Amino acid sequence: MNNTSTLFSWFRLILKRDLALSFKKIATFLIPLVFFLIVISLFPLALGTENSFLSSLSPGVIWVAALLASLLAVESIFNEDFRDGTLDHFLLSGEPIFILVFAKVFAHWLVTGVPLLLASLISTFFLFLPEGVVLPLLISLLIGTLLLSLLGALGSALTIGKTAILSAVIVLPLSIPILILGVAIITSAINNQDYLSYLYFLGAMLAVGIPGLCLATVEAISINYD
Amino acid sequence: MGSPPFFFKWASRLLPWFSPISFSILIIGLIWGVGFAPSDYKQGDVYRIIFVHVPSAILGQSIYLMMAIFGSICLIWRAKLAGMFLRSAAPLGASFTLIALISGAVWGKPTWGTWWVWDARLTSTLILFFLYVGIIGLYSSIDNKQKGDRAASLISVVGVIIVPIIKKSVDWWQTLHQPSTFSITSSPSMTSDMYFPLLICVIGFYFIFVSLLCNRLRVEILTRERNTTWVKEYLNNKV
Repeated sequence: MNNTSTLFSWFRLILKRDLALSFKKIATFLIPLVFFLIVISLFPLALGTENSFLSSLSPGVIWVAALLASLLAVESIFNEDFRDGTLDHFLLSGEPIFILVFAKVFAHWLVTGVPLLLASLISTFFLFLPEGVVLPLLISLLIGTLLLSLLGALGSALTIGKTAILSAVIVLPLSIPILILGVAIITSAINNQDYLSYLYFLGAMLAVGIPGLCLATVEAISINYD
Repeated sequence: MGSPPFFFKWASRLLPWFSPISFSILIIGLIWGVGFAPSDYKQGDVYRIIFVHVPSAILGQSIYLMMAIFGSICLIWRAKLAGMFLRSAAPLGASFTLIALISGAVWGKPTWGTWWVWDARLTSTLILFFLYVGIIGLYSSIDNKQKGDRAASLISVVGVIIVPIIKKSVDWWQTLHQPSTFSITSSPSMTSDMYFPLLICVIGFYFIFVSLLCNRLRVEILTRERNTTWVKEYLNNKV
C-alpha cells in the first residue's frame, strides 16, 4: 500500500515538474500548435480553395498535420533531461523507470496533444468540415495523440542525444496504423457511416500501447545507461 | 555456437564450399527460368521477372522476421553474435526489399501500364523498406557498438509486433479508398514448368543470403574483436 502511494507521488512530482517547465517556456506548447495550424493552412494555398474539395481532403490533412506536429515536439521528452543530468539523477535514485516514462509521456501529451485538440477545432473552419464530425474528430485525436506521444517517447528514448529527424524516420512508419484509423473514423463520420468499430480498434491499440510501448521505452533508456 | 571466434572458424571453413554452391543454385534457377521455362500465354516473356521479384520479396520479409528473432535473443541473453547478425542482415534485407520494389515496378509498367499502384501489398513492402532504413539509421548513429546492437534489436522487435497491424490497416485503407484495380494477391495457378525454376530461385536467393551474411559477419567479427589475441593470431597466420 505504502509502495503504491510513493509511486504515485513520484508520478505527480515528475508530472508537476514537467508541466511547470513547459509553462515557463511558452514555446513548448505554443510552437507545435502554431506549426499544426501553419501546415493546415498550407494545404488550401497549395491545392485551391474549393469548399467541397477541401472538406473531402480534410481528414487526411488534419491527421498528417497532427502526426508531424506531435512527432516534431517529441525531442523534448528526454533530450533536455539528458543534457542537464536530470535523467541520470532519476536513474540513480533507484525508482522504477516505468513511472518516469509514464509521467513524462503523460506530461508531453498534456502539453502538445491537448492543445492540438483545440487547434483542430479551428481547422474545422479552415477546411469546411461538417459540424456533426467534430465529436468523432476530437475523440479520435484524443486517443491518437496519446498513442503518438507513446510512440514518440520510444523514438526519443532510442535516439537520446541525437537529431529529432532520426527519431521521426524510425517512428513515422510505425504510426501509419494510427493515421489510417484516424482518417477512417473521420471519413466514415462524414459519410454518416458507423465509425465506432474503427474507434474501438484505436482504443484497443491504446490499451496495448500504454504498457507495451512504455516497457519498450524503459528498455531503450536502460540501453543508453548501461 | 554463440561465441564469435567459434562461429568465425566454422564460417571460414564452410564458406569456400557454400558460396559456389549457392551461386550455382541461383544461376541454374535463373537460367532455367529465363531461358527454358515456357512463356506465359497472357503476359508473354515479361512474366520472367517473377524469378527475381518473388524471391527477393520473400527474402525481404523473412529477413525482417529473422532480425526480430535474433533481436530478442540479443535483448534477452545479450548474445554478441545476435547483435552482429542484426547489423549484417539489415542492409541485405533492405537491398532485397528494394530489389523487390524496383523489379515490381519494372514488371508493372508493361503489364499494368504504370510503375506504381497504391495497392495494399506494394504499400506494405514500401513501409517495410522504410523500417529497414530506420533500423540502419539508428545503429549507425550510435557509436558504442553494443548499445547500437541493442537499440536496433529493440526497434526490430517492436516493429515486428506492429508490422501485422500495419498490414491489416493498409488492407483496410485500400478497401476504404479505392476499389481493387489490380489483383496481385490471387496468383495465377502455375504449371510445374514455371513453378520448379521459381522454387529453385527462391532456394538460391536464400543460399546467397546466407553466404553473403556469413561473409559480412566475418568482417564484423574481425573488426569488432580486432584487439583480442585470437584475431591477432589469425591475421599473423594469414600474413
